[in-house]
Amino acid sequence: MKQRALPLAALRGAVAGAAAGLAFAAAMRQSGALVTVASIVHASPAGLDFVAHLLVAAAVGAGFGTLVSSERLGVGELLFWGLTYGMVWWFVGALTVAPMLLAGRAIWTVAAAQAALPSLFGHLWYGAITALIYAAITPGPSDGRPRVTGGTVGAGVLAGVAGAWLLERLIATQSPWLGTTGLSLATSSPAHRFVFLTGVLGGLVFALLYPQPRDAAGPGLIRGALFGFVWWAAAALSALPEINGGGLAWSLEAVRARFPALPAFVLYGGLVALVYRWLLAAGRLLFADDATPRDEEGTGTRGLRAIGRGAFAGLIGGLVFTLVMVRVGFLPTVAQIVGAASPWSGFLVHLVIANIIGASYGLLFLGRSVGTGSALGWGVSYGFFWWILGPLTLLPVLLGGAPRWTPQVAGALIPSLVGHLAYGGAVGIVFYLLEVRYNPWWVPHTELMAAQSERRRAEVLASASALWVLVVMLGLTLPIMLACGMAPAYSGTATARGAYGQSSGEAGPCP
Amino acid sequence: MNTSIRHTVVAGGISGLVAGLVPALSLDVNSPGTMSVGPAGWGAVSVALQLVLAMLGGAGFGALVRDQLDGRAATAASGLLYGLLWWIVGPLTVAPMAHGHIPTWSLRDATATFPALIASLFYGGVLGGVLPLLTGTFGNPRASARCEPVVRPVRRIVILGGGFGGVSVAQRLEFLLARDPSVQITMVSQSNYLLFTPMLAEVAASGLEPQHISAPVRAAFLRVEFRHAELETVNVAARLVRTRAAGAARIDALHYDHLVLALGAVPNLRRVPGLEAHAFTLKSLDDANRLRNHVIGLLERADVEVDPHERRRQLTFVVVGGGFAGAEMIAELRDLVHSVRRFYRGIDPGALRFVLVHSGERILPELGSALAAYARRKMEARGIEFLLGARMAAAHSDSVVLADGRTVPTRTIVWAAGNQPHPLLRSLPVERSQSGAVIVEPTLQVKGLPNVWAVGDCAQIPDAFHEGSSCPPTAQHAVREGIAVAENIVAVLRGIAPRPFRFRTIATLVALGHRTAVADVRGWRFSGFLAWAMWRTVYWWKLPGLEKKIRVALDWTIDLFFPRDVALLTASPSVPQGLDAPEPGRGASSVPTPAAPPPPAT
Repeated sequence: MKQRALPLAALRGAVAGAAAGLAFAAAMRQSGALVTVASIVHASPAGLDFVAHLLVAAAVGAGFGTLVSSERLGVGELLFWGLTYGMVWWFVGALTVAPMLLAGRAIWTVAAAQAALPSLFGHLWYGAITALIYAAITPGPSDGRPRVTGGTVGAGVLAGVAGAWLLERLIATQSPWLGTTGLSLATSSPAHRFVFLTGVLGGLVFALLYPQPRDAAGPGLIRGALFGFVWWAAAALSALPEINGGGLAWSLEAVRARFPALPAFVLYGGLVALVYRWLLAAGRLLFADDATPRDEEGTGTRGLRAIGRGAFAGLIGGLVFTLVMVRVGFLPTVAQIVGAASPWSGFLVHLVIANIIGASYGLLFLGRSVGTGSALGWGVSYGFFWWILGPLTLLPVLLGGAPRWTPQVAGALIPSLVGHLAYGGAVGIVFYLLEVRYNPWWVPHTELMAAQSERRRAEVLASASALWVLVVMLGLTLPIMLACGMAPAYSGTATARGAYGQSSGEAGPCP
Repeated sequence: MNTSIRHTVVAGGISGLVAGLVPALSLDVNSPGTMSVGPAGWGAVSVALQLVLAMLGGAGFGALVRDQLDGRAATAASGLLYGLLWWIVGPLTVAPMAHGHIPTWSLRDATATFPALIASLFYGGVLGGVLPLLTGTFGNPRASARCEPVVRPVRRIVILGGGFGGVSVAQRLEFLLARDPSVQITMVSQSNYLLFTPMLAEVAASGLEPQHISAPVRAAFLRVEFRHAELETVNVAARLVRTRAAGAARIDALHYDHLVLALGAVPNLRRVPGLEAHAFTLKSLDDANRLRNHVIGLLERADVEVDPHERRRQLTFVVVGGGFAGAEMIAELRDLVHSVRRFYRGIDPGALRFVLVHSGERILPELGSALAAYARRKMEARGIEFLLGARMAAAHSDSVVLADGRTVPTRTIVWAAGNQPHPLLRSLPVERSQSGAVIVEPTLQVKGLPNVWAVGDCAQIPDAFHEGSSCPPTAQHAVREGIAVAENIVAVLRGIAPRPFRFRTIATLVALGHRTAVADVRGWRFSGFLAWAMWRTVYWWKLPGLEKKIRVALDWTIDLFFPRDVALLTASPSVPQGLDAPEPGRGASSVPTPAAPPPPAT
C-alpha cells in the first residue's frame, strides 16, 4: 500500500497542478504578463507554449503531492503548504530557471524581482489552488477530517464581524495613502461596504478552512495573520480591482498603491483567528455535551510559570534586539513613549516592552514547540507580527501620530524588522529551553503521556513549517521589493518621522 | 531523542556542503550582492571559504532541527526558513563586519544583498531537502525524533509527607530527574493538598476561604506518583514502607531505594492535663474550620445568654503560646470578633476579652526585643491581654488554670505552645532528639541510614551558621531543605558525594492583625503597615499556583469592604478535636456546664 501511495499522491498533485495551471495562465494573460514557461517557449509554434505551461504545472503539482503525501493535513494546513510551495517556485522558476534559459544566468536582483511581481501573485494562487484541489480529491485521514458545523460557521461569521469592525477602522487611517485604489474609505461609501463584507466573508472562509482548530492561541494568531495576507491578496489585489473593471492589480505600482491596506489585513486576520478560537472554546464550554476537557494545558493552570519564563526569555530577546536599536539610534525614539529623550530611558522602556511581549509569548505559545527549530519558527513569526503591531502601528500612535503603512515606511523600518526577528528567535529558543528543562516532552513516563506528546507533536508540525517560512519570506521580500526605488516621500512631524526611523528617506535607485 | 545530535550534525554538515554548491556554482561569486566571502579577486579561495561556511551552517541546521526531522515538506520548509535567517546573519550582519563596516540592516543594504537572499533561500531549501535523505527519514517521515519508549523504573524514591518539605523535595526531584525515567518518585501523604499554613489563622478568623490556601498536590507534579494514604509502618532494614489507602483496608507495600521523611509535626497536647479534651489546635483546615465555627457559635450563644458569668466565659478567648502562631492567632481572633460583633447586638463590646498566655518574659522570642515590644504594644492597644511568665497547669471546659494558681474563665482555649514530631518516627530505629525529632547529618541523611533523609519539622538539622543549634522549623527552611535533599539524592544516584545543607533565614514576618505586622529581613526591621504589606506580598507570592493567588487576592479585597462571614457551617456547636475522638480514659473529663460544649457522642 505504501509503495502505491506516493505515485498516487503525485498523480493527484499533477491533476491539481494542471487545473491550477489553467487558472494561473488565465490570470497572467489577463494581467498582461507572460507565464514563466510561456516566456521561454513563446517563439515556438502557437499553442505549444500553453501545452508546455500545463505540462510544467502538472509536474510541479506532482511534486507538491509527493511532498505533502506523508503529512496528515487538513484543508487549511494544505492551503499554506500550497502558498509556500508556490512562492518557492516563483524563486525557482521566474527568477532562476527562466532567466538561465533566456539569458544564460540567474538574475536575482531586486529589479528583476519587481518585474516578476505579477508572477509572484500568480505563483501564490497557483500554489493555493493546487493545494485546495489536491485536498478535495484526496481522501482525508482515517480518523476523518474535522467537520464543519453550524457552530463553527456561526463563530466564523461573528469573528468576521469583529474583524471587519477592526479592518474598517484600520483602513480608514490609511485612506490618505490609498488614493484611487477603491479602498480609500474617506471618499467612497461602496468601499465601506466592500471592506465590511470582505471582513465578514473572511471570517466565514477562515471557519471553513479550520473547522476545529487544535492549535493554541499563539499558532492560531500566526495562522490568522497569514490568512490576513491571503485575504489582502484576494480582496484588495484581485477581487476589488476586478469588480471595478481594472483587472488584477498585481503589477508593482498597483501593489505599492494597495500596500497600506496590508498591515490592516494582517492585524484583521490575527483578530479573526483569536476571536474565532475563543468563540469555539466558549461554545464548547457552554454547550458541549462532552464534559471531557481537552488535554491542553490551560493558561490559568501553568500560566504564571509560563509568564515568568516568557518574561525572562523576553529579557534575553530584548538584549539581542538592543544591538540593532543602538546601531540604528532608535532608543531615543522609544524613550519618547514616556516623555523622555535619553537612550538610557529608551533602553529601559525597550526592556519593559520586551518583557511584556515575552510574557505574552509564554502564554500564547505554551507547550507549542517540539524542538529548537520549531521554537525558532514560532519566535520569528511572533517577532514579525509584533513588527506590524509595534513600530508600524502602536509606536506612531503612542507618539501622538497615526500609523502610516506605505512601502517607504516599511522599507525604512527594515532594521527594526531584523531586530524583531532576532528578538522573536531568541525569545522562542530561550522559552523552549526553559520549558524542556522542567518537562522534556520526549521522555514520557506512561504510554498515555507518550500518546499525548506524539499527538501534540503531530499537530505542531502539521503546517507550522509552512507558516514560519511563508511569514519570513513575505516579511523580508515584500518590503524590499516594494520600497526599493521609491522616492522618499515623508513630510510628517519630526516626532512621527522619528517613529519610522532615521533612514526613512534612503531608498535610492533599485539595482 | 532517537536521532543523536552527532549524527544529525554530521549529516547537516554534508548537506550544507551540497547546498553550498548550488549558489556557488550558479553565480559569479565575486559579483556584488552574492554570498561572496573574502576580498574581490580571491576566486577559488572565496568559493572554498564559502563552502566551509555552508558546511558549518549545515551542521548548525542539523543541530537545530534534530528534534523535528519529520517529513520531507516540514524539513524542507525549515531549511528555507534557516536560509532566510542565514541571510540576515551572514550577508546582512557578518559580511559588512568582515569588511570593516558596521552593519546597518538598512533598505539599501537589504537591496544590495538581495541576490544573496535568494542564494540563501536556495541554500536553505537544498539543505532541508538533502538532510532527511542523509538521516534516513526520507520516505519514513516518522522514523526520527519521536518520544523515547516508556521505560520501566528500576529505582524508587519515596517521600513521606506532603507539606512544604515533601512537596519541595518532589518538585526538585522532578526537575532534576526530568530526563531520567528509570527513577520513580512516589509521594505518600494523608492529605491530597498542600496546606499553606502561614495563612491558616486567617481561615480560622473567617478572612479566607479554606480551599483557597490548599493546593492539590497532584496539580503540582507532572510525573510524581501520588498516593493518598495513611502510613502504617516503615521498615528501614527491608527498605519497605507499608501504607493504607485512604478509606480502604488494604495494605500496600512500597519498596524504596531512597526514603525521605517529611512528616512534619503534630501539636504536643500531653504536656498539660485537659488539653487534648478542651484545647483547639491549628495545624489543619479541619482545625481552622472547627475553631471558626466554635467562635461564631459562642457569639450566637452569648448574644442570648442570661447568666453574666457564663457570658463572660463565652466572650473570653485564650491563646496559649506567644510565638509566631500564638501571636497571629490571637490577633486574628480579635479581628474576627470585632469585625462581626455588629451583628450581635446583645453583646457588650467591653465584655470581650482576648488573652495571650506565654511562659516567657516577652512574646515573639524569635524576633528581636524591639519588634517584640512593638508587637505587644500594638496588641495591647487593641485590647489584648498578656499573661507573661505564666505556665499553663490545666485546661478545663470552662477555664484555664495557670501554674501560679490563677484561673481564666473561658470557653475557648487555643494551643499554640508546642509541637512534637510525627508519632510514627518513634517506631524508627534512629537517633532522636529530646523532642523526638530525627537527628540528621549536615547532608540531611539520617544518622546511620545513608539512604534515609529527613526534612522539615520532623528533623533536627544542624544550623551551619550557628554552631550547636538547629535550623528553626519554618516553611522557608523546609522548602530549602527539600531542595537540598533532592539534589543530594540525585548526587548519590550519580555517585557524587552529598553536600551539607546551608541556609540562613531570609526574613521573619509576623502578622498582628488589622493591617499591622512586624518583619525582620536579615537584620532590617520593619513594623506597622509597611511590614503588613510585606507580609501579604511575600506570602501571596509564595502561594502555590496562579489560581490560588487570584482567589486569595479576591478574598482580601472583599475583606476590605465587607464584614466577615458569620454563617455557622455546622448544625451543632463546635468542639475541640479532642472531644471528637478522645483517647480511652482521657478527654471529656470535665464537668459539663449548661453552656459548655456537649460531651462526646461516644
